[in-house]
Amino acid sequence: METNEERRARIAAEAAARVERIVEEAARPGWFGAWTLFLRELKRFWGIAGQTIVSPVVTTMLYFLVFGYSLGDKLAGADGGRYIDFLVPGLVILSLINNAFINSAFSLFIAKIHGVIVDVLVSPLSYLQLMFGYMGASIVRGVLVGAIIWVVSMLMGAFAWHNVPLALLFMILTASAFAALGVIVAILAEDFDHVNFLPNFLITPLTFLGGVFYSIDSLPEPWGLVSRFNPVLYMVNGLRFAMTGSADVPWWQGLAVLVVLNLLFGGIALRLLASGHKLRG
Amino acid sequence: MSALLELQNVHKRYGDFVAVDDVSVSIEPGEIFALLGPNGAGKTTLIGCITGLNTGFGGRIRVAGYDVARDYRITRRLVGLVPQELNYDAFFTVRELLAIQAGYFGVRPDDPRIDALLESFALADKADANTRWLSGGMKRRLMICKALVHDPVLLFLDEPTAGVDVELREELWEYVERLRDRGTTIVLTTHYIEEAEQLADRIGILNRGQLGRVASRDELMREFGDATLEVEVDAPIPASLISQWRGSLDVELVDPTTARLRYGAGGKDETHALIASLISAGLQLQRVDSKRSSLEEVFRTLVRRQRGGLDGDE
Repeated sequence: METNEERRARIAAEAAARVERIVEEAARPGWFGAWTLFLRELKRFWGIAGQTIVSPVVTTMLYFLVFGYSLGDKLAGADGGRYIDFLVPGLVILSLINNAFINSAFSLFIAKIHGVIVDVLVSPLSYLQLMFGYMGASIVRGVLVGAIIWVVSMLMGAFAWHNVPLALLFMILTASAFAALGVIVAILAEDFDHVNFLPNFLITPLTFLGGVFYSIDSLPEPWGLVSRFNPVLYMVNGLRFAMTGSADVPWWQGLAVLVVLNLLFGGIALRLLASGHKLRG
Repeated sequence: MSALLELQNVHKRYGDFVAVDDVSVSIEPGEIFALLGPNGAGKTTLIGCITGLNTGFGGRIRVAGYDVARDYRITRRLVGLVPQELNYDAFFTVRELLAIQAGYFGVRPDDPRIDALLESFALADKADANTRWLSGGMKRRLMICKALVHDPVLLFLDEPTAGVDVELREELWEYVERLRDRGTTIVLTTHYIEEAEQLADRIGILNRGQLGRVASRDELMREFGDATLEVEVDAPIPASLISQWRGSLDVELVDPTTARLRYGAGGKDETHALIASLISAGLQLQRVDSKRSSLEEVFRTLVRRQRGGLDGDE
């Protein structure tokens, strides 16, 4: 029969052995935890693919049908190209921006509101790994929705694959900038109105006015000049060059804008996650 | 390894509000420590400082000698938390959720621990059900499984039995004893004082962010518990006897034939003295009632005292 003293000593020895094992494991943390968060985020939107993938694709394809086919004959793209080819990169960016933003913004905000964020915050994941998990899945969703629209458009007769690697680079960088913006908004938001504010009143108007449906060369001044202050214009035109070989602004300017936005939004998101602002007490 | 958890002068402020005020305590491996305190006393905030939910606190917190701020990658693996607020992730099934939680800590999704926990907490038949459809008690069990899935050596149970039935509560406490037996240290906060009384090796009372006396249940009862003995006799108690008690015994008359003795820790001598003096005065005992304060009353007394002290400081 174990005495109290013996029991205490045995329990202390077991605790010490377990601590030693855990400390050893912690010495080689790796990225499995971050990969798990990334997969969790992927499964989250994949589990509701009807809302997160199919719905935006169907909506965007309606734009393609109405503007590309019904009105397209009366319109011309930049440099006199076909309007349906001109339209594809704009529609891809339109959906990609919305989906990349909404994914990280809503997922993180819902986790915050429902208290599920606690599960992640008590884990040994670093803020960089949190950012990888939340942003990674948003980039995948944005690029996936954009890529489906791109492919379906081509199946429907568009010709938009001038430089595929450059197009993919533009899509990834655009998705990543808006995924980071989604993280920022989710952290700062206190209710759903705050999360919806940016897409409703800033992102969608900027996207529509960013040359998705028209060339800025067709705008009377000063609107052509004003449009040049819209960063989405550079994304649309960068991708337009990669897809069709012609655009209103040089592709490298689009790339420069994306690098700056990624550094800006990524830096702010990382700083907010590192400080624990509005996430940790 | 001496202390498994060590807090040194921990303080946490929100603006002008001091949520945790200079708390120092040391908890041994395998100890069950109950943190009692009224609502808003700072229990959850203090636990948040240890588990990583709250940052920007002053003082020092070490788990198994590792600093929770600097060595968080180690300490968060050592610590498990069952938070007070029920949360559930409606996107996943019970098994998926446990696998995800395990993954955050580097534990593979096929680890046998997941099935063992599902069995232990009677969730095996709900393993493939969406968490949305679980009852409140099941959600609470799932939260406990999530906290245990990486096999922590220090487990925080923040009001774990709030809103659960008696059966689960008892099962949980049995499980807690088993965990302790294999070297897990447990810190629990609870409103059910009998739980603290039944389980905890030591009890700490937190009030307005300050940790008051930390002691075993017996020590607390001895120091702050109160006991009364009421004795009714067959005839009025003579005044000479009452004056004889004065100075040595704390006795008051409830009515002419009933005396009430108030005594502190131990109390054998006082009760013996009272009864012996009544009998030697020729009185017949009609009724003897003894009453000891419960831990709950001790808790209330301590909180009142602490509050009185604080208010006096203001």
